[in-house]
Amino acid sequence: MAFLEQHIHDEPKTFVSKYLISYDHKVIGKQFLWYGIFWLLVGGLMAMLIRWTLAYPGVPFPIIGSLLFPHTGGVVPPDTYAMLFHMHGTIMIFFAITPILIGAFGNFCIPLMIGARDMIFPTLNMLSFWFSMASGGLLLLSLCLPLGAAAGGWTSYPTLSTNLGQPGAGQTLWLLSLFLFGASSTMGAVNYITTVITLRAPGMDYFKMPLTIWGIWLTSILNAIFVPVLGAGLILLTFDRVFGTTFFLAGAAATSGKGDPVLFQHVFWIFGHPEVYILILPAWGIVSDLLAFFSRKPAFGYKMTALSLTAITVLSTVVYGHHMYTTQMSPLLTQSFMTLTMLISIPSAIFFANWLGTIWKGSINFASPMLFSLGVVFVFGLGGLTGLYLASTSIDLYLHDTYFVVGHFHYTMAASVLLGGFAGTYFWFPKMFGRMMDERLAKIHFWTTMIPLNGIFTGMMLMGWAGMHRRLYNPFIYEFMEKLMPLNKFTTYCAIAMGIAQITFIYNFVNTIFNKKLPQAENNPWKVGTLEWDMPSPAPYYNFKEIPHVKCGPHEMGNPNLPEGKDFQYQTEELVKA
Amino acid sequence: MATKAQNLEEKMFQQSVAMTVTLIAFSMLFATLFLGFFLVRFNTPMWPPVEIQGMPVFLPLLSTIIMAVSSFTYHRLQTREPMRGFYWKLTFGLGVSFLICQKLLWSALTAKGILVSNGNVPSMVIAFTWIHAAHIFMGLALLLWLGRFIFKKKEELTEIKLINVGKFWHFLGVVWLLMYLTMFVL
Amino acid sequence: MNFSFFERLLGLISNVHEISAESMSFMEMIKPPEDISTNGHLIEWLFMYTTYVNLFWFSLVVIGIFGFSFLYSKKRHKKPLYTHGNEKKHLIITAAIALGVFLSVDLVITRVSTHDMKEVFWNFDDSGDVIKVQVLAQQWAWNFRYAGADGEFNTADDVVTLNDMRVPVGKKIMIQMTSKDVIHAFYLPNARIKADAIPGRFAKLWFDANKPGKYEIACAEMCGTHHYLMKAQLTVLSQEDFSDWVKESQSMAIATNDTEDVNLRWGWKWGSK
Repeated sequence: MAFLEQHIHDEPKTFVSKYLISYDHKVIGKQFLWYGIFWLLVGGLMAMLIRWTLAYPGVPFPIIGSLLFPHTGGVVPPDTYAMLFHMHGTIMIFFAITPILIGAFGNFCIPLMIGARDMIFPTLNMLSFWFSMASGGLLLLSLCLPLGAAAGGWTSYPTLSTNLGQPGAGQTLWLLSLFLFGASSTMGAVNYITTVITLRAPGMDYFKMPLTIWGIWLTSILNAIFVPVLGAGLILLTFDRVFGTTFFLAGAAATSGKGDPVLFQHVFWIFGHPEVYILILPAWGIVSDLLAFFSRKPAFGYKMTALSLTAITVLSTVVYGHHMYTTQMSPLLTQSFMTLTMLISIPSAIFFANWLGTIWKGSINFASPMLFSLGVVFVFGLGGLTGLYLASTSIDLYLHDTYFVVGHFHYTMAASVLLGGFAGTYFWFPKMFGRMMDERLAKIHFWTTMIPLNGIFTGMMLMGWAGMHRRLYNPFIYEFMEKLMPLNKFTTYCAIAMGIAQITFIYNFVNTIFNKKLPQAENNPWKVGTLEWDMPSPAPYYNFKEIPHVKCGPHEMGNPNLPEGKDFQYQTEELVKA
Repeated sequence: MATKAQNLEEKMFQQSVAMTVTLIAFSMLFATLFLGFFLVRFNTPMWPPVEIQGMPVFLPLLSTIIMAVSSFTYHRLQTREPMRGFYWKLTFGLGVSFLICQKLLWSALTAKGILVSNGNVPSMVIAFTWIHAAHIFMGLALLLWLGRFIFKKKEELTEIKLINVGKFWHFLGVVWLLMYLTMFVL
Repeated sequence: MNFSFFERLLGLISNVHEISAESMSFMEMIKPPEDISTNGHLIEWLFMYTTYVNLFWFSLVVIGIFGFSFLYSKKRHKKPLYTHGNEKKHLIITAAIALGVFLSVDLVITRVSTHDMKEVFWNFDDSGDVIKVQVLAQQWAWNFRYAGADGEFNTADDVVTLNDMRVPVGKKIMIQMTSKDVIHAFYLPNARIKADAIPGRFAKLWFDANKPGKYEIACAEMCGTHHYLMKAQLTVLSQEDFSDWVKESQSMAIATNDTEDVNLRWGWKWGSK
């Protein structure tokens, strides 16, 4: 295929065109990063409020409690509690993780790593960011409504999410906000997919792309296909709320019509299960690359890893039913979903073996990105394996909707993705902002995050096994859960510890960006051969003066045939052979 | 000149990738709606159910014919360069009359007592035509945008623009045809 | 590392503010509620099996992470091995691991799970001596309906209770369930079962109880602000006590029956769809 060389666009001069209304993929990536970190803090604060309520029901939240809930003297009221866990889920998934992993790293890395001057449609890219800003704005607005924001759980199952259960405008705003988010994601996805297909530098075959790009690309494909499915569901639910249609209304309390609430669950999970992989695939890609870079050897079984990621992408589209075992689908359907779900363990086993193969006999440099990557391997190991319990139809009878599920999906979707995001941030920071983040603080950040994190989510799984179910304002009104009080407190302490640990990161991040006294980073501080490191730090606005010609794979390191004193080669260099 | 032609080819390739991805996204949206429709349909013991008996026959048929003709005129717009302005006006007019037809259809349904609040089958029939009509609005907006190049900035009118708007317009036609067949005929 | 170490650690951290009246061991704390059913142990067995297999595979991952980190750190191992991991032996090892996972995990869990569901949990055979109960979930309470002497539901002699389910020991309890407003889920941790009560649909569920006593029924699906208060009590009575209770409540039901009140007649014909 003929490759396309984009023109170098003019350098933006004014503050507005440089930082606000920018067409530059790197600036848009940074905008997404800030946006995601903002929402991460909001969602994190909500998590603290939730955890506090579970450990100390009826006790005022310390320090800021009386400020937030003056009419109850600082105690989180039950309706607010429902709102909090709904918003915590929504914010973390759609407004924190998606912008950081897909918006920030997708935008920043794709053109740089495949050797392009920008995304193929810069305007669309910018629109995508402003759409997500608008959707975030709508969500914030819904938090200020008199009847409160949506409070039906982030899955918003009807009929609870119809006017029957959520009379306020909060739920409608939530729907609109997610619809806008979906539009933004789809735009991003169209852009990413097309960029990867058409703008790869000459010589950059699919199997010479870094695995990060593989992850983000597969994510975008899932995004383009399945976000519209959610869109359709959201439209129908909005119609139910606003125009009085009856798609999902049923039961004696519905005054007219007969719909089927389970239809929404089907639509939601057809989107929802791929969404889980949409979130985790970029993290997997980043980790696969970083493990190789910091072990100073090529990625073990590169092709197999790329193919197993693809296999998981395909499988992820046909397993959604395991979220709905308790709705009692037909036995045949239930069994097929279980079998298909179980099959995911095979490609997962393959890339886990490859990850461990990558660090085997390497020469491991425990820099902060590597620590976080190893952290991902650890927590995703736990998260993935605990999925087996929930895939099984019979165990799910007991564990469905318990804290075991909560612990499991936090391990996979929160812990792994968060650690992967941190790894990526520490790794690409010099290329983004031109300075190195403080390594000592980063290491403190890692250990102070990793240890409480496991405390929280293992604690949750143990509670789940002991029978504690989800979304309870006060679990201790049940006799069988009274004994879980100490475990709940332990989990809450861990959560607070992890929350406090993030101050290290925020300080490090902000200080490194704005403290002008800190030294500039080298062009290639990690000694890595992918295209983005063969240019000044921070990356210039035109990326590449000359479009590079790619001649070897992304992780050519530790080659014994390399000349003395050199242990890696750039992708633009011919592979050195004996 | 060879480089310019090559560039054009490359651009067409990119744009067609992008347009294909976009159309896949849109068709997933409609596919979901159809999935919902079929799930409901096969779980309804008697078809058509009482709620939608007596649906108008003529108006949807007219809409379908209008849609088909507009697809044809768009094709003419693409191929017959000298008559482009005329065919553009024709296509646009047909698009608008499609919307008028739909409006008449909705009034007729209301007059017959087929309301969205009567159950999920009428909800689907009516809401799906709404969603499709919203897309026709988008299509008309695209046509207007194209019209700017046909009548004013002729030098900027490229083959790519014609093809892409066309793809979207034909796509809407196909979706309407499917809707007509599944909801009004079968 | 033994469990008492964990216990002490956990006790140290979590009981700072609270002096627990009776010290409970960590393992005791995380034990699921007492199993009162005949078949709950099937779920526990599969859970434990999965746990052991998971521990095996996860220990491999942990050994890999920590072992390789220790052996091949920059200081200890200066010269990395240059390999792309695409030699035959590498592929064989990877394939063997994948196959191992497939055989130990997928095959066993899928088969056992399917077997348990088909033979036990999906076995909704309601012929014979079973107790039939209709359940109507609503925000935020459970309604239970027993057929009474005539064996027909939605008649004058139906025994209807609110948040109070009584069953005899050792009999199969068949439940048909729906919801009035939003989706709820009937969750009986002591029998390890759960099913959604969905408006407009009927869910089926069955269990049996072997130990008399009082247990808790919870709603497991988010159903609104007071979701956490949607609790019902399950009382397992001896068979004589149960039939006494039914007789008594039945005569009371007939005495207080109000034919005008449609709200009393929320039941349905058993087995109707």
